[in-house]
Amino acid sequence: MKKKKKLLIVEDEKNLCLLYREELTREGYKVIAVSDAETAVQQINKQPFDLIVTDIRMPVKNGIELITQIMALRKDIPIIINTAYQSYKHDFMTWAADAYIVKSASLDELKSKIKELIG
Amino acid sequence: MSQLRKDIISGRWVIIAAERGKRPDDFRPAPTEKKKEPAGFCPFCEGNESKTPREVYALRKNGTRPNKPGWLVRVVPNKFPALTRGMPPVQHEDGIFRWMDGVGVHEVVIETPDHDRELPDLPLYHIQQVLETYKKRVLSIEKEFQYKYVHVFKNKGREAGASLSHPHSQIVATPIIPKKVNEELYGCERLHRQHGECIICRIIRDETSEGERLILRNEHFCVMAPFAPRFPFEMRIYPLRHSAWYTCLTKVESLWLARTIKTTLGKLKVILSDPPFNFYIHQAPNPNLPHEGWANLRESFHWHLEIIPVLTRVAGFEWGTGFYINPVPPETAAGFMRSSS
Repeated sequence: MKKKKKLLIVEDEKNLCLLYREELTREGYKVIAVSDAETAVQQINKQPFDLIVTDIRMPVKNGIELITQIMALRKDIPIIINTAYQSYKHDFMTWAADAYIVKSASLDELKSKIKELIG
Repeated sequence: MSQLRKDIISGRWVIIAAERGKRPDDFRPAPTEKKKEPAGFCPFCEGNESKTPREVYALRKNGTRPNKPGWLVRVVPNKFPALTRGMPPVQHEDGIFRWMDGVGVHEVVIETPDHDRELPDLPLYHIQQVLETYKKRVLSIEKEFQYKYVHVFKNKGREAGASLSHPHSQIVATPIIPKKVNEELYGCERLHRQHGECIICRIIRDETSEGERLILRNEHFCVMAPFAPRFPFEMRIYPLRHSAWYTCLTKVESLWLARTIKTTLGKLKVILSDPPFNFYIHQAPNPNLPHEGWANLRESFHWHLEIIPVLTRVAGFEWGTGFYINPVPPETAAGFMRSSS
């Protein structure tokens, strides 16, 4: 049996966290969802992930700081920025990510980007 | 008493409100206010080429491959651009409003593989290569007729809008001529008719003989504080040879421009303690397009580079009126710049 690809979702909005976990699990991925950057780093240190989806605006440490930290740990993990804001595109640190998605009611773009990056 | 001064080209008025005893030190940004960028990773550094889109131009060491280490200057499209390349956009009307698709080009010029070596700290030859790269990219983009204007600019420091400290500049091409450029084109054309010569050639002649606002002059360029600057230590670099387009720069001139930029930014760094700044080039619109409405563009416009240190904040008065209050007279700023070695 084919091994499930493992995703880490970093999202401080609890309902969105649940929605992503449910929808992406249904797509056949193994999903770990956390609500802050610190816990995300702990998870990355604990187990390997095939892809990380992170929000930017989060309390304590934002998504851009998290991405920088991930790059120091593992440069090769594909990262998707999933934010409600277009404005962070001006920040060139977002280039560390492989895709930048502006949140919408539909998860189609997120699902297709994940598929494109890791299958 | 303060003075109201008019910028003759744009028609903009500024208030020069000199403050007694102000020294350049007073405008240095407080170190505690400087925000640090997260350390550890930079997508522009050599070795991280895979994190950028594929390069559209690079000056490389012999034997190195595209999108791999071994470059001196590298140009890549913006990974997450606000405008995207496309067909000439159609203008739509929506009642009284107008809109078009966000067509444009947005490229990033990574000036050096060295994260910590700013533009004025680079050798002259290297700065010249950055300037030649601007020229090559502008000429290449201008072949696409949907882009009426190609804007080259640099933001240095967070307060000036730079999100990364790795030395870089940007090139943005738009399907419309920006309003500020239009104002300058119009002002230069009007003054050309009035004076019978390019107004910037006239400014250069008058200001280099007066000397009060002149910062430096060499064989091919001069640097001066404009008569009515919006901001403290605002400066202009003018080529002595009249030309409407930056892209007409010769190899000899680009070396002299490199020298001029190195000296000017170097002085700025010393007297204002490495302030955040913006610089941008103003040149005439895409020369491959017909310039309806601009009868004497070639004769009336004179390309130049504007440098704006970010030392003061633009607030309600400036936003609401278009007036700027500048606490440093340009004569004082030019004096400080001249005296710095």
